[in-house]
Amino acid sequence: MSASSLVPPRPRWLDVVGVLGLVATGVTVWLGLWVTPPDVVQGNLARLLYIHPPLATVALYWAGGVAAGGSLLYLWPRTRSFFWDRLAASAVEVGAVFSALTLATGSLWGRPVWGVWWTWDARLTSTALLLLLEIGYLALRRVPADPAVRARRCAVAALLVAIDVPIVHFSVQWWQTLHQGGTVLDPGFDLHVHGIMLWTLGLGFVAFSLVFVWLLGVRYQVEVLQDAVGGQELEVSLAERWSEDPELVGVGGSGAEAHERGGAP
Amino acid sequence: MSYVDAGYAVALATLFVYAVGLVVRRRRWERALRASERPVAETGAPSHGERS
Amino acid sequence: MWHDAVLVAGKDIRIEARSRVALWQVVPFAFLVLVLLAFAIGPDQATLRHAAPGIFWVALLFSTVLAIQRSVAVESGEGTRDGLRLSGIDPAGIFLGKAAAVGLQLLALQVVLWAGVTFLFDVHVHVVWLAMVASLLATVGLACAGVLYGALSAGLRVRDTLLPLLVLPVLAPVLLAGSKVWEAALSGSTSSGTQWLKILVPFAVIYLVVGIVLYGPLQEAA
Repeated sequence: MSASSLVPPRPRWLDVVGVLGLVATGVTVWLGLWVTPPDVVQGNLARLLYIHPPLATVALYWAGGVAAGGSLLYLWPRTRSFFWDRLAASAVEVGAVFSALTLATGSLWGRPVWGVWWTWDARLTSTALLLLLEIGYLALRRVPADPAVRARRCAVAALLVAIDVPIVHFSVQWWQTLHQGGTVLDPGFDLHVHGIMLWTLGLGFVAFSLVFVWLLGVRYQVEVLQDAVGGQELEVSLAERWSEDPELVGVGGSGAEAHERGGAP
Repeated sequence: MSYVDAGYAVALATLFVYAVGLVVRRRRWERALRASERPVAETGAPSHGERS
Repeated sequence: MWHDAVLVAGKDIRIEARSRVALWQVVPFAFLVLVLLAFAIGPDQATLRHAAPGIFWVALLFSTVLAIQRSVAVESGEGTRDGLRLSGIDPAGIFLGKAAAVGLQLLALQVVLWAGVTFLFDVHVHVVWLAMVASLLATVGLACAGVLYGALSAGLRVRDTLLPLLVLPVLAPVLLAGSKVWEAALSGSTSSGTQWLKILVPFAVIYLVVGIVLYGPLQEAA
């Protein structure tokens, strides 16, 4: 079996998304740092709010959603496919990067405003927990195992990680501590952001969402390639082994088939 | 450097480094895949079970 | 003995470099301990700042147990330990090599943990050299005692539950002295800090010597 048949071709649309994301991010940075005026209350610090909430949104809802959704779709027999497993794993890794950046940008904002780099308020703590959970998942993923076993184990792990997502979301409502209430999704939200600032914020959401999709796509490709190489090396080793001992040839095909079971692209 | 500049720098730099890292990984595994397709030459290919 | 130590240390470090278990599991675990202790102690900033030294050392101690477990597990494969014994490598060299590898991991961990504690608990170390010397001395003691007790429990089916039970009481003096030194380093009182440093020195020396002497017999007895 040719290995290249295991690997999907590189789709054009992914590169387009990447370029769009890059451009949109560039424009957001330009608007955020130079074009927009300083905030009445926070001054220049408000500029961080063009990137911090978008990063958080990506980390929490996009990455968390894909990870949870992919895991569910893998676990459900009707839709089981290695595609969902690999997509979920990719989402957790990219999500971890965005979670870490959310905490970093938030901390840099919080230091001049609250006076501390960190505080154990509900939203920060639950987000830190999310990052730790994601790292735990990634550590689990790295343990060598049969692909189907690993997929099932990681799918369950991803769902457990996803439990923290609503906790982070509702943390600002359930525990009234330091972090401000939600902005756009908050019930009873009072729109403080106007004009060019609103446009910049919106563009920020779009930009980082596009970047997320691109990163997710490339990470997914890496995941597919890793599994393909692993499987290919297994086949080569098996082929070499069988060629040494003709009596084993009859047992031949089951190894490669078991590897492909439960997976498609 | 202000907190704002630091924030933008950290976010953009991290995403950039991660993106470049992914592209490098993709290229490396593509090369490994091509190499492992030929049963003879396997030097340099990352071994089974190792994750980058 | 020294040459063998370098050989064994290199082997353990190379295994870690390939598998990156310490990076992906031990370091996140250490941060997890920080977060859990913060949960337990509550959000009051002053209390957390006061507890920060203890938190640092508790996280380090628990992570040490993990690092030791890993160090032992590396040779838990069929016949690996026997192979190592029969290879003619000086057992004291094995001990030193493994302790050095664990020690290096613990040092790297402490750098990260130090940054984490500073960041999460809003503390600032004023007397840096005090904290650094404490870390270095403690690392020697932790690594040596840990590898020794790891060898004690190696091969036992109950190793996972037994090792923490055996080694943590032994490491308690390091926890105590380390926390006190950090308290001094945070508040700036150098004299009380150096007093407690004096506890870390004999601890390190004793376990270094005992390990060199007893590791061989321990391996034979297993």
